[in-house]
Amino acid sequence: MSEDIYANALHTALTEVRNLCPDITHSFIFTKDGTIIAETAQDTAEVSTQKTIHSFQKLIEKTDTIGGLNAFLVNGNKGILQISRVNNMYLAFSASKKADMAYIQSVTRIILPAVVKLLENIVSTPIKPTSSPQNLIAENLTGLFIGETAQIDDEILLEWSETFDNAQIGEIEIETSNGKIARCKVKPISEHDFKGKGLIRIPEKIYRRLEVEKGEPVKVKPIIPEGK
Amino acid sequence: MSAKRKPEEIYADLYSNLENIRAKEGVIGYILRNSKFASVNLNDPTKIIDYAILSTELLETGEVATKIFELGSMNSVVVEGNNVKVLSLVIDDQRIGIFMDKKVNHSKISKELDLTKLNQKRNASLNQNSQENQEQNETEVPP
Repeated sequence: MSEDIYANALHTALTEVRNLCPDITHSFIFTKDGTIIAETAQDTAEVSTQKTIHSFQKLIEKTDTIGGLNAFLVNGNKGILQISRVNNMYLAFSASKKADMAYIQSVTRIILPAVVKLLENIVSTPIKPTSSPQNLIAENLTGLFIGETAQIDDEILLEWSETFDNAQIGEIEIETSNGKIARCKVKPISEHDFKGKGLIRIPEKIYRRLEVEKGEPVKVKPIIPEGK
Repeated sequence: MSAKRKPEEIYADLYSNLENIRAKEGVIGYILRNSKFASVNLNDPTKIIDYAILSTELLETGEVATKIFELGSMNSVVVEGNNVKVLSLVIDDQRIGIFMDKKVNHSKISKELDLTKLNQKRNASLNQNSQENQEQNETEVPP
């Protein structure tokens, strides 16, 4: 089953859920890396879901302290937005204030996980990330003006840039062997001694967040700017 | 006399309310802050920084989502992890983060804080009425 069919199946599921719950104004499913798999909206008004996802991803990074992120709910005086984790994906929907939340939740909690589970059993090839990750060795980066920018070999950045139509790679995603993920800015390694050794120099703050050890291999992949 | 309550008064009221909430079963702690003051009361003081960062990020994400999805004005934001959930809200310029066990009913706590909000509005309105009455009395010309 191709990714298109997978996405179509989820899109159909979202549409059916919206037919059952007409108060849902917008719904979409996305992966942890921010890829939107399926999306439906009540009207044609464009909503910047990508911006919400980006903000949500930043929040995910901060939730290690409470044991990850299973659900997120915004309660406004005109409507609500709920994002819940379904296996390794996230289901988001917004609804008007008059919506019967208990009903919506019972529908979404039953239908969508069932569809996702079914698809995962059928799909032989899971959804691929947009780029193949690079295995690098973690190295702690400390100093006064380090901020939150990791450093990797310039060659890797150039290689990624060429792969993605000369896109400027300014951000990466780091994943540890324990499955902890963090996003941060990236720039080439500045100190000569660390160049060409397959290292990633991770700023102290992110280093601690990832609970990574010096010399531990981590997966690193570029965040590709939109449109590339 | 000012019609609007001073931030210090609102802060003091919220502080007292949060101390009551803090005593409830399953509530791990809270962070209350405004531009001048901050109160932190957590079971585990080593988590203060992590919780403060999470609470701030939660409100920011909530604000972004509220704007994008046109949810009106944001009443509250909740994030739930495997063990703990966090309720964040803004009352005037007071930013609140309440940390609790996953099983605690956050809606009840949210309602209690909404009552605080209502009381503040009511007090502000009473103050305004009292000010207006006072002004009216002062301008009345005696016969």
